[in-house]
Amino acid sequence: MAVAALRRLALRGPVPVHAAIGTDALAAVDDLSLDPRISVQQSPRHAAILLVAGPLRDEDRSDLCRLHDQLPHPRATVFWRTDPAIQIADPPVVSVEDDAAATIASVYRSLIEEGRPSEPDLQPDTPPNPWRGKGDHGQGGEGMMGGTPYGRPMAMTGDDLRDGLQLDPYTAEFGPFLPVFPPGLKLRITLQGDVIQFAKVLRPPLPQEEQSGPSAALRRIARQLRLLGLTGQAARALRLASVGDGKAAGVRRLRRLVKWSGSGQAIPPGLGRVGGADVRDRLAAWWEVASGETAEARAPDRTLVDLLPGLEWSEAMLVLNSFDIATLTGMCPIEKREDKAHSEEEKDAPEPHDHDGHQDQMRGAA
Amino acid sequence: MQAVAILSVLLLLLFGAWLAAILDRAGNALVAGDRVRTAAVRPLHDLAAHLSRQTTTTEAPDRLNWRLAPVAYLALAALGLSVVPLAPGVVAADFDAGIVLWGACEALTVVVVFLHGWSANSEFPLIGGYRYVAIGLPVMLISMFVLIAAALPAESLSVAAIVESQREIWNVVRQPIGLPLFLLLGLSLTLRGPFDYADSDDLIGGTRAEASGAQLAAWQFARLAMLASVSVMASAVFLGGYLGPVLPGALWLILKSGVVLAVLIAAGHLLARMPPSRMMTFIWTVLLPLSFLDLVLVGAELLIWG
Amino acid sequence: MGLIDDAAFLLLSTVAILSGWRVFATDSMVRASFLLMMSFIAVGLIMLLLAAPYIGLATVFMMAVEMMVMALFMVMFMMNPAGLNPMMMVHQHQLAIGAGVFAFVGLTAAVLFTDLPDDRVDPGAPVVHDLGVELLGNSMLIFETAGVTLLATMVGAVVLSSRSGRFGAADEGSRPPGLEVGGEPAGRQPVQGGGGHHHHH
Repeated sequence: MAVAALRRLALRGPVPVHAAIGTDALAAVDDLSLDPRISVQQSPRHAAILLVAGPLRDEDRSDLCRLHDQLPHPRATVFWRTDPAIQIADPPVVSVEDDAAATIASVYRSLIEEGRPSEPDLQPDTPPNPWRGKGDHGQGGEGMMGGTPYGRPMAMTGDDLRDGLQLDPYTAEFGPFLPVFPPGLKLRITLQGDVIQFAKVLRPPLPQEEQSGPSAALRRIARQLRLLGLTGQAARALRLASVGDGKAAGVRRLRRLVKWSGSGQAIPPGLGRVGGADVRDRLAAWWEVASGETAEARAPDRTLVDLLPGLEWSEAMLVLNSFDIATLTGMCPIEKREDKAHSEEEKDAPEPHDHDGHQDQMRGAA
Repeated sequence: MQAVAILSVLLLLLFGAWLAAILDRAGNALVAGDRVRTAAVRPLHDLAAHLSRQTTTTEAPDRLNWRLAPVAYLALAALGLSVVPLAPGVVAADFDAGIVLWGACEALTVVVVFLHGWSANSEFPLIGGYRYVAIGLPVMLISMFVLIAAALPAESLSVAAIVESQREIWNVVRQPIGLPLFLLLGLSLTLRGPFDYADSDDLIGGTRAEASGAQLAAWQFARLAMLASVSVMASAVFLGGYLGPVLPGALWLILKSGVVLAVLIAAGHLLARMPPSRMMTFIWTVLLPLSFLDLVLVGAELLIWG
Repeated sequence: MGLIDDAAFLLLSTVAILSGWRVFATDSMVRASFLLMMSFIAVGLIMLLLAAPYIGLATVFMMAVEMMVMALFMVMFMMNPAGLNPMMMVHQHQLAIGAGVFAFVGLTAAVLFTDLPDDRVDPGAPVVHDLGVELLGNSMLIFETAGVTLLATMVGAVVLSSRSGRFGAADEGSRPPGLEVGGEPAGRQPVQGGGGHHHHH
């Protein structure tokens, strides 16, 4: 009784969606997030529908399965602008029209009200690192340190970049669907606290359409605003970007609003200096483009993995999102093989476990 | 009388949290250019949506602390509110050292947020947790100096006495930098806006990244309840609490708290968040000296003009 | 009133003792820090019963902050903060047990055989005011010197452990400039091969 009332109330609100963005779909998903029927969530655990937008690479498929399993029940997947990439038991929902919001809303309604079964796990509910029965007490660990207790590689100490203190570094792969990364980028990062010690590019970002012009600049500004905590202003910027013309007045108003928020002072000066321009300069250039002027492109003279070490996480995210996708792809050359020369730096980094979503979690209501 | 006060505290928390949720959504809609009217009912829909979903868990979490953290957060909001006089003579917990209790609640809030981040056994919540500790502890120092400066004219650490001491002149007039600094503490305690280091978007939701279902609903509710609690405390200590000419005292308190609540929510939506290292520098080099200055100014004023 | 006080005292002391015991029995270092905090909070609340509200609440306040910092250091430095590997936290096990039992017996004897005062504090007594007068009156010298000494110690410890030495980075053996321009570095030569990293087991 109460459950039915709860469900009806839940249906009146927007559908919480987590977007796994593929090639050429970032702008479309940004526009979709403006729809009042949809609420795009950053974390898969806050969403009920997994929206797979745009074609993905073959190697991203296992990450997509892992992402799918993290959504809480009841859940469903909707494929948009792509063929169903992963096998889900039901006939998969593919949104054929360009407006996916209606499809998503109807899937959500059938999930909540009409008894559409929630999608089962795609991967077995077992820990990725086998640990049972190993080690001194059967929990996978050795003594008081070392081993992989309960499947987690135990952090060993390593020198910190800043002052040589021996702290516990943490290595993980941050993965192709992380909302704060450009879609498709996968990095293996060693963190000391929240400061990046090493970074390695595993997969470059996926190419996205339409990188020049005021709309694209506004979308990039929106991503930066979101990182600065200005979600309302970011939504406003996205709305201006989705409008075709006649937005000069709107852009001026937004620029004034953002100026009064102190975001110019919030970004540290000299952050992420590439080709003589830091994050502030690049953001200012985007504002110029959004207001209708043109900005000249600068060739980057450093790679991403040179830029990131020593940066704290939020600064690193600001730097990462201060490049457009084409430039960033140029800054992310993949090293061909895991050569021994590089692994020397990471010799005290334990075996990584995957993220964005992170390794397999134990399913189960709590 | 005390039973009435305790009940009123709980009702004030509930009502305040609900109002804060509505204002938060409406504020977001206003800044984003959405329709405000649908935003006002959204909290109820969100709550229902969360409650109808599964509470997921991660591998090897610290389950006890994870489930307890929102409850503890809510309890701290209630405890902090209990020292505030809601009307002349109506206090749930009339402590001689009410400000120190409030300070203890602030300190324990930092602990609770860290535990919420730590317990999930996942990297984004953990980073959110200890980023918050680095910022939350110095901000607590600022609030303590500002509260002591408010206690000086009252010659007592009890919040009831502080409210009574504002009969001639409100503390916001006596120490003008006190209220903005205390509001910054309010933003920090409720993980909001420029001080949202624990639950921020660049950490995919931070300490609540792995929370879902009832766990998430409880955490969000506790945050809003703490916002209500801070607003009431700020209006009692700086804006004269229940003092006011025509209307009954409790109504004045509610009105003033509502104003402070709106200001806090506006600040949360309109101000940008600095990276933590920059904010640390800002706190230690600008805000803390300002709070010292505030204390010294109030002390000097009292010495000179009695 | 006496019954409630006694019941509260018994409950709080049980919490304090149990959580104090669990500090050493738990594997998780973070939990150990917060169990210690809980023990201190219980003691602080007992002080509320003893009509010392400021001291009790200040204890809670300070212990929360201190244990928070300790827990943070556990995550930073200890390789096993969640206790996923079992921990053995006591050294010199037998000596520790012996000393603990001896101290417990001694303190219990002292408490049971002393004539403790049992006159009630007048509820209207301005205890916080009296405490303030004492702190800023007779005990001011002690508190101020202790405070400044602590601050100087903290500043000194940070300076000593900071990497940026007076003549360069400390872990590269910072050495003062020579007495002549370009000459041999003056002063004591640093010992080579210093600083073995000792892991805490």
